[in-house]
Amino acid sequence: MRTVVITGATSGIGLEIAKLLAKQGFRVLGVGRDWDRCQRALEIVTRVSAPGRAEFFAADLLQQREIIRLAEELGETLRVTAEGELFALINNAGCARGWYMTTEDGYEQQFALNFLAGFSLTYRLLPQLKKANGRVIMTGSKSHNGIGVHWNDVMLSRRYNPLTAYKQSKLCCLLFARGLNDRYAHQGIRAYAVDPGLVRTDIGNKDTGGLVNLVWTLRKRGGASPEIPARTFLYLCQAEPAPEGLNYFRCRERGYSRQVTSANADRLFALGERLCGVQYDKRAEA
Amino acid sequence: MNVFISGAAGGLGRAMAAECARRGYRLFLTDRDSAGLEALQKGLERQFGAITVVYACDLTDPGSVDAMLAYVDGSRIRFDMLLNVAGVDFEGGFMHRDRERMVEIVSLNDGATLRITHAVLERRREVRPFTAVFVSSLACMFPMPLKAAYAASKRFLLDFAAALRQELKDEGVNVLVLCPGGMVTKKDTLAAIRAQGFWGEVTTNPLERVARRTLDRALAGKGTYIPGGVNKVLSGLGRCLPRPWVAAAIYGRWTRAQKKWLGA
Ligand SMILES: NC(=O)c1ccc[n+]([C@@H]2O[C@H](COP(=O)([O-])OP(=O)(O)OC[C@H]3O[C@@H](n4cnc5c(N)ncnc54)[C@H](OP(=O)(O)O)[C@@H]3O)[C@@H](O)[C@H]2O)c1
Repeated sequence: MRTVVITGATSGIGLEIAKLLAKQGFRVLGVGRDWDRCQRALEIVTRVSAPGRAEFFAADLLQQREIIRLAEELGETLRVTAEGELFALINNAGCARGWYMTTEDGYEQQFALNFLAGFSLTYRLLPQLKKANGRVIMTGSKSHNGIGVHWNDVMLSRRYNPLTAYKQSKLCCLLFARGLNDRYAHQGIRAYAVDPGLVRTDIGNKDTGGLVNLVWTLRKRGGASPEIPARTFLYLCQAEPAPEGLNYFRCRERGYSRQVTSANADRLFALGERLCGVQYDKRAEA
Repeated sequence: MNVFISGAAGGLGRAMAAECARRGYRLFLTDRDSAGLEALQKGLERQFGAITVVYACDLTDPGSVDAMLAYVDGSRIRFDMLLNVAGVDFEGGFMHRDRERMVEIVSLNDGATLRITHAVLERRREVRPFTAVFVSSLACMFPMPLKAAYAASKRFLLDFAAALRQELKDEGVNVLVLCPGGMVTKKDTLAAIRAQGFWGEVTTNPLERVARRTLDRALAGKGTYIPGGVNKVLSGLGRCLPRPWVAAAIYGRWTRAQKKWLGA
């Protein structure tokens, strides 16, 4: 049985991915921030699949030290139950914020959760991914378009615009996937971003406040059910051989911003490595 | 520039620390939350290459503060700036809250602030200008039912800062008091702001901007900083309307907001 890790698996898109993958015979290790919500999600996933198909872990992925602890727990579980192999890591946990808020590490929260958490967790699970020729999937977004990374102030503390912070964090997801392929594709790891489209979830109503909360309440009405993007994640986990594209929407390749270059990815890796205290391999020269 | 920040692991403290680190200041950070301090130290180092010393300490405990000061003296650290950020608030009716919690508001917000201010001023770097910042609150402008002890403790800081400013003027010390409205520093403050509806939104100040401007103004020799136009108007009203009226008006608004917030 192939094991997948899904972050943000306690609601919205992540929960649907967990249900679908468990139903299709994957073993799911779900991650949420709240223990009770993890228990609830475990019940839901077990109900639609089979007992023992899923396990949940609570960790606040905003904090770097929690990511380290989580990676150790996941590593141990993978060692005991999956011969140390991780077939897919789905970095899906995400948030929207209406105000500049920081993590314990002093990092802006959308940047920290939507991008850095996946960057840090992936690094710590690389050995298990390598062993399985695994795949890394970032939940991206169409909103990554029309913006560049604010290299001089990635936390946007000079002039905080919540939407800019969100868009930038999603652009970073695509750059991260690109950079992973540059570094590890020849070692058998493939990375992707999935654009879920507009989806009816509560993401814009959690800890946002102000305008963001209001706008999202109106906007999400036009969104699709989270079951729909979940299928694209299933596709990327099942397709053999591993698809070659980078960005996917409704099980098909989709174009992406011209900002997504190897040079920008290198720059982002250097920044992420500094902020997370990790060191990925250098890009393999083509 | 060597900066001492109390309450550094909280939302405003972190924003202030980040702003200082960005400017290349060296930091001495204290808070009760030692795990939070360590995370912040690492984060500031990674983000800005900042030189940071952290020391976890309960500022209401004179013994712990003495130990911290011994550490400061042992490391021969001297300061150019003090940011008094540490403070607590326990929302709600005076008689509905635990007695010791109520006292803690004053012992931390005022008692500990005096203790630290005295200690750090004694340890200021010689012949250099010094800057001290007190974090009061918009609440200090009014008698505030249901936040009575908190608002009064912040009033203490407002008056104390103004007087100290005068005392130390000729010694090259500038004292600034910051009176912000709400700031979104954690989930609870966000919930509280939301519960107050319109007034919550318009009195809320962006954290990152407050942090930056506080430093700018304090270094420029200013004495008071009330961020936001609406807040300036409200504090003006607080000063010229009769205090019983103000208290009655605030009581009405807060009881409604708190009912919503506490989900009652
Ligand atoms: N909805 C859309 O239209 C849309 C469009 C494009 C991209 N996306 C992306 O899709 C992903 C999933 O979003 P969603 O719409 O499904 O939102 P959601 O329902 O709010 O799901 C977010 C998930 O992340 C978890 N989470 C939040 N903060 C966390 C933390 N600090 N540590 C660990 N986990 C945390 C949440 O836990 P709780 O269950 O406890 O809240 C939840 O499981 C995000 O990356 C989002 O940016 C969404």
